[in-house]
Amino acid sequence: MLTLTSPVDTAAHRLPAGVKLAALSLWTLLLFQLASPLPLTLALFAVAGVHLGLGGAAFAAHGARMVRPLWPFVLIVSLWHGWTGDLAGGAVVILRMLAAVAAANLVTMTTRLSDMVAVIERLARPLARLGLSPRRLALALALVVRFIPVMLDRMDRITDAWRARSPRPARWRVLVPATLAALDDADHAADALRARGGAD
Amino acid sequence: MSAPASPVSAHAASSGILLDRARVALSGRIILHDLTLHLTEARIGIVGRNGSGKTTLLRLIAGLIAPDAGRVRIDGLDPATDRKGMLAALGILFQNPDHQILFPTVEEELAFGLRQQGRTQQDALAAARAALAAEGRAHWGPAPTSALSQGQRHYLCLMTVLLMQPRTILLDEPFAGLDLPTQDRLSRRLAALPQRLVTISHDPAAVADADRVLWIDAGRITADGSPAVVLAAFRAEMARIGERDADTDLAG
Ligand SMILES: Nc1ncnc2c1ncn2[C@@H]1O[C@H](COP(=O)(O)OP(=O)(O)OP(=O)(O)O)[C@@H](O)[C@H]1O
Ligand SMILES: [Mg+2]
Repeated sequence: MLTLTSPVDTAAHRLPAGVKLAALSLWTLLLFQLASPLPLTLALFAVAGVHLGLGGAAFAAHGARMVRPLWPFVLIVSLWHGWTGDLAGGAVVILRMLAAVAAANLVTMTTRLSDMVAVIERLARPLARLGLSPRRLALALALVVRFIPVMLDRMDRITDAWRARSPRPARWRVLVPATLAALDDADHAADALRARGGAD
Repeated sequence: MSAPASPVSAHAASSGILLDRARVALSGRIILHDLTLHLTEARIGIVGRNGSGKTTLLRLIAGLIAPDAGRVRIDGLDPATDRKGMLAALGILFQNPDHQILFPTVEEELAFGLRQQGRTQQDALAAARAALAAEGRAHWGPAPTSALSQGQRHYLCLMTVLLMQPRTILLDEPFAGLDLPTQDRLSRRLAALPQRLVTISHDPAAVADADRVLWIDAGRITADGSPAVVLAAFRAEMARIGERDADTDLAG
């Protein structure tokens, strides 16, 4: 979910990252104050409304697609609360989760990673006294975001390479080559970093 | 990183690329055998077969690996220890762009090197965007690097290196995977650069205009001189091996 990009350019893209992150924090705090299904449903509508207002139907549809990976959690929470008979409690958990994640996605989609990283660098500045370099922290975050899609892609390609030569499905068998490939990638990334002056 | 003390005997050969009996062993095998070279020409080509040690030599020059014996100096600096000094001295284009790209978006990838050179994030991003615009690729800026094609990623890596304006640029197979118009544009672009270029290629034609060509085989310099002489010998030898049966000695 860190690698989201928006299909359309919106007004939110031009807001400072710090403002958006602060708003997101307040929004999440507010969601935890709301404890019944009705206000949380309204909150979810509000998030949808913001999507529509910023980038129209296509943007809102994109936002909806981005929360789809949450379905296993929705399922588990529904089953549990259905079983215990606490339907309102289940609805609160699910609505709150959707409203929080959708809002977080909205910020991620409309904020350049480097701007986000700059905010984190600023916030992490006090940690420098403990010996943790904010710049290193920021760099580590960027690397994670860069290499998640690379690693997923690598898994796909290893699966392809397996399928091209075997009638059996690859499944767990890609794990060992994928792990080795990840270690190899880490070596190369270290090289690339070194080639441009290192992490200090 | 603090600035290291000036290397010894820098005055004798303070400019250019100096290798003094430099040896590299990987996994216990000697890959480069005690090479001694002083490269001062503006355009240097390196040819050799697969596995001959071209990339290893470039990595040694770039300071990505340290010699196991002997020494390496770039403009008088030790490339393996003076990483900050190397930022202005030398840039390297990796053979595989996927091994070089560190950032999720194009403009961040371009800006990183400039930030490393001490510019502010804003300044670096502005310079990155200006460079993209100058290439007619302004729309690339916010694009995810993972969404670029192989050739486009290669091009991005080259732009990244050029933007940092190092005095020497090492290019490992810069034309591999690029379509013909892009190759042409790139070679014209490279030809116009004021910097020293060290270009690796399998293809003798790609280094035919160099001032000096090195032919590497099994970690040793087989020939070193003008392109006319070295490339003629290289072509003849490659043709001879090809006729015999190239496959039998690929294991090299
Ligand atoms: N990390 C490593 N560990 C062990 N051996 C290595 C390593 N990297 C390279 N080698 C070996 O060193 C030799 C030279 O490799 P190098 O990558 O320098 O060749 P090259 O001339 O660039 O080849 P190509 O034209 O295929 O790119 C090869 O025999 C290779 O197997
Ligand atoms: Mg190579």
